[in-house]
Amino acid sequence: MEKELLQIKNLTVEFKTDSGLNKAVDDISLSLKQGEILGIVGESGSGKSVTSLAIMQLISCPPGRITKGEIIFHKKDTSQQDLLKLDEKEMRKWRGNEIAMIFQEPMTSLNPVMKCGKQVQEAILLHQNIHKKEAKAKTIELFAEVLLPNPAEVFNKYPHELSGGQKQRVMIAMALSCKPSLLIADEPTTALDVTVQKTILELLKNLQQKNGMSIVFITHDLGVVAEIADNVAVMFKGRIVEQGNAITIFNHPVHPYTQGLLACRPKLTMRLAHLPTVNDFMNETHFKSVEITKNERDDNQRIIYSKPPILQVKNINVDFSTQKSWMGNVTAYFKAVNNVSFDVYEGETLGLVGESGCGKTTLGRSILQLIKASSGQIIYKGRELSQLSRNEMRDCRQKLQIIFQDPYSSLNPRISVGSAIMEPMKVHNILASDKARKARVIELLERVNMNENQFHRYPHEFSGGQRQRICIARAIALNPELIICDESVSALDVSVQAQVLNLLNELKLDFNFTYIFISHDLSVVKFMSDRMIVMKKGKIVEMGEADDIYNHPSTDYTRNLISSIPGV
Amino acid sequence: MLQFLLKRLFYGFLVLLGVITVVFLLFNVLPGDPARMMLGQRADINSIEAINKDLGRDKPLTTQYFNYLNDFSILSIHNISDTNNYWYLDRTKYTSAIKLIPFGNYALILKMPYMRRSYQSKRMVTEIITEAFPKTVLLAGVAMLFAVIIGVIVGVLAAIKKDGFFDRISLVLSAFGMSLPSFFAAILIAWLFAFVLAKYTGLSMFGSMYTVDDFGNGEYLDLKNLILPAFTLGIRPLAVIVELTRSSMLDVLSQDFIRTAKAKGLSPYHIITRHTLKNAMNPVITAVSGWLASLMAGAVFVEYVFDWKGVGVVIVDALEKYDFPVVMGVLLFISIILVIINIFVDILYGMLDPRIRLS
Repeated sequence: MEKELLQIKNLTVEFKTDSGLNKAVDDISLSLKQGEILGIVGESGSGKSVTSLAIMQLISCPPGRITKGEIIFHKKDTSQQDLLKLDEKEMRKWRGNEIAMIFQEPMTSLNPVMKCGKQVQEAILLHQNIHKKEAKAKTIELFAEVLLPNPAEVFNKYPHELSGGQKQRVMIAMALSCKPSLLIADEPTTALDVTVQKTILELLKNLQQKNGMSIVFITHDLGVVAEIADNVAVMFKGRIVEQGNAITIFNHPVHPYTQGLLACRPKLTMRLAHLPTVNDFMNETHFKSVEITKNERDDNQRIIYSKPPILQVKNINVDFSTQKSWMGNVTAYFKAVNNVSFDVYEGETLGLVGESGCGKTTLGRSILQLIKASSGQIIYKGRELSQLSRNEMRDCRQKLQIIFQDPYSSLNPRISVGSAIMEPMKVHNILASDKARKARVIELLERVNMNENQFHRYPHEFSGGQRQRICIARAIALNPELIICDESVSALDVSVQAQVLNLLNELKLDFNFTYIFISHDLSVVKFMSDRMIVMKKGKIVEMGEADDIYNHPSTDYTRNLISSIPGV
Repeated sequence: MLQFLLKRLFYGFLVLLGVITVVFLLFNVLPGDPARMMLGQRADINSIEAINKDLGRDKPLTTQYFNYLNDFSILSIHNISDTNNYWYLDRTKYTSAIKLIPFGNYALILKMPYMRRSYQSKRMVTEIITEAFPKTVLLAGVAMLFAVIIGVIVGVLAAIKKDGFFDRISLVLSAFGMSLPSFFAAILIAWLFAFVLAKYTGLSMFGSMYTVDDFGNGEYLDLKNLILPAFTLGIRPLAVIVELTRSSMLDVLSQDFIRTAKAKGLSPYHIITRHTLKNAMNPVITAVSGWLASLMAGAVFVEYVFDWKGVGVVIVDALEKYDFPVVMGVLLFISIILVIINIFVDILYGMLDPRIRLS
C-alpha cells in the first residue's frame, strides 16, 4: 500500500457575488496516494478548477475565500503540512517546486513576449540553487524529455512560433522542471485537437511513471479520464457525487449525473436520433432514445441525393501570402485550401473533419465569401457567388449562415442578446416592424430553450452553452437554407455539447436546414453527418458515407483520427 | 531589417515630396505678396518687381517648384555653362558641393540642402532652424522624459494597488491634468512659481536657453529657464501616460500567463518586472511617440508664454509674415523628424513584442 500524498478534508470555498455568497466548493474530501493519477470530472462551474486552485492557493481573494477545511500534504521525509496554514511567502516556495500546475489554454498561459526556454529556466533558477548555464542545459534536457522537436531551437523560440500542442509540452516541461511530487493538470487537453490530445495524454502518463509523481487531472470529459486516471472523483455543483476506481465508475456508474456524463458522448457503435443528456438522468425522466437504423438512413439519403445539389464547390483554392516583396507583391504563399471540390445536397448534413490547420475553417469561410478564394467556383442554386454584386451577395447571405466556434467572442459584449438576434433581421428587412421582430426573437429564444426574460440580458450573464444557443438563434432568425457550423460545439463541455447537438438536429427537422458541420472530433462529425469529408493539409483525403468511412477508413490519417477519440 | 528601413525611408521621401507640393501650392493660392509685405504699403512697382525677380517669383509656377526641389535636394542638376545664371552653383547658397556626373551643359551635383533665406530677416533658413530646433528638442525631450518616468512609475503603482488610496488619487489627478488647457496651465505656473514664489524658487517668468549677460560678456547657457516650461508641457502627457500604463498593466495582470507565473512560485515583484512591464508598454509607446512628434513641431502656447524661442515661435511668426522659405523649411524639417521617430518606434515595438517583429 502506497503512502498518502495529499489529503483534502472538508474543503469549502465561497465566492462573493452580487447575488450573495456562492459556495463554489462545498465540503469536499479527497485523498491522493503517491504515484496515483486522480481524475476530477465535472462540467464547468462544478468547482473542479476552484479545488485545484485552492491546493495551489491561487484563488483570488476577494471575491474568493476558503472558509473551511484542511489540505494536508505529506512530504517525502514523512512530515506533513497543512497548506492552508502557510502564508503567501512560504507558499511561494511550494508552488512550482513541490506542486506544479498546467492549465487549459496553452495559447494564453505562456508569456507571449518571453522566449519559451527563458520561461522554463526562470522556474528552475527560482527553486534550485544552480548556475544559469546549468539551468539552460537542464531546460533543453526537459524539452527533449517532453519530446519537443529540436529542443535547443525551441529554447530560443517565442510561444507564437509553436503549435498548440507544442506550447502545452513547454508548459509540461515547465511544470516538471523542479521534479514536483504533485502535478495538477487543469483541463490540459481541452483546447487541443483530439489527435494532439492523445499524444499529450500518453506523454503525461509516461512522465508520471518515470518520475513517480502524482497527478490531479481535471477534465469535463469522462472519456479522457478513462484513458489516464487510476481513480476518479465526479463533481457536481461543488460537491463530490461519486468517487472510486476509474474502471469501475466507467463501467458501472452509480450516480445519475455520472451516468449522464457517460451517456452524452455520441456512441460510435450506434446512431441515436437524440443524444441522452445529463438532465435526462438527473430528472430521471425515463428517456428512451430511438436508434436510427441503417435502412431508415438509406431511405432518407436516397431522397436527399436524388435531387440536384444546392451548393457546388468546384476546384477551390485559397492561398495566404506568407512573404511579400517590398512593393507588396506576394512572393511566397501557403495553400490553405488546395483544389477542393464537392457538392452539398438539400437536407443533408455534410461533415468536415480534420486536424487544426487542415483548412476546414478556411474552406467554410470561403464558401460564405468571408475569405476570398484565389480560384475556383462556388455555385449556390445555380448562381456563382463570386460573380454576384454587393447587393445580390447581401441577399444571398440571408440564405447562408454560419455559427462560429467561440460563443464567447462571437457575441458583442455590449449588445443585449435580443438586439443581437434582431440586428441581422433588420439588415435583411425581415418582418415589417420592430415589434413584430421582437415577438419573433422571443419565439426563437424559446425555440432554443431559453426564455423571454433573457431578451434584455447581456452575453456575459450566460454560460457557454447558452451563448451558443443565442448564436444559433441569431443564425436561424434569417430563415436560412444552409448553415455552416464551424467547430460550433468544440468549446463546450461534453454535457452541453450533447444538448446543442440535439438542438441542431431538431432545428434541422423543423426548418429543413442543410448543414455543413465542421469539427476536429470525428465522433461528433460521425454522429451528425450523412456524408463526411476528411481533410488534410488543404486537400480532401476521403469523402463518403459517414458510417462507411468510420468502419472502413482508407487512410492512416483517418485511422489516427478515429483512434484518437477518447474512451475508444 | 534593412529592407524595412529602405521601405520606410522611401515612404518618408514620398511624405517630404507631398509636404513640399502642398505647402508650395498653398502659398501660391492664398492671397498675399511677400514683396509688398517686405516693402510696406507704399512700395513702387519697380521695387516690387525687382524683389520678385530676386526671389525668383517672376518665373512660371512649375519652374519655381522645380527650382525649389533642386535647391532642397541633396542631389541636384545644375547648368554649369552659364556663370550668370541665377540658379547656378554659388558659394552663398551652398557651402560645399561636389560635381558628380557632368553631361553637356549640365551636371549632377551633390550638396547640402539649400532652404533659401527668410524674406524678412534675410538669414539662411538652415541657420534659423539650427538655432531654434535644439531648444525645442531640449524642451520636448525633457518634458517627455519627465512625463514618461513619473507617468510609468505612478501608473504601475496605481495598477498594483488597484482601488487603493494611491490609485484613486492618481486617477483624479490625471483626469485633472488631462483637462487642463496648456496655455492656462502655463500662465498659472509662471505666475505661481516665478512670481509669487520667486523668492524661494529663484526662477524667472520668461527666458530662453541662453541668457544675454548684462555686462556685455555675451550669452551663457541658462538651463534653469527650462524647468517651468518643461514641467508645464509635461503635465498632459504625464496624465495620459499614467492612465494608459495603469489600464494596460491591469489588462496584462488579468491574463492567463500571470497565473502561470504565480504557479511557478514567482514573487509579486518578479511578476511585475519580468512578466508584466514589457507586455504593457506598447500602448504607452504609441502615445509617447505621437506626443513627442507633435511637441517637436513646437509647443506654441508654452513657448510663447515662457518666451522660449523654439520652433513653435519661429513657425507662427513666419506664417504671420508670409515668410514662405521659413515655413517650408521648418515644415520639411519637422517631417524628417517625424519619419525618423516613426521608424524608431516601429523598431521598438518589435523589440518589446516578438509577435509584431519585422520580417
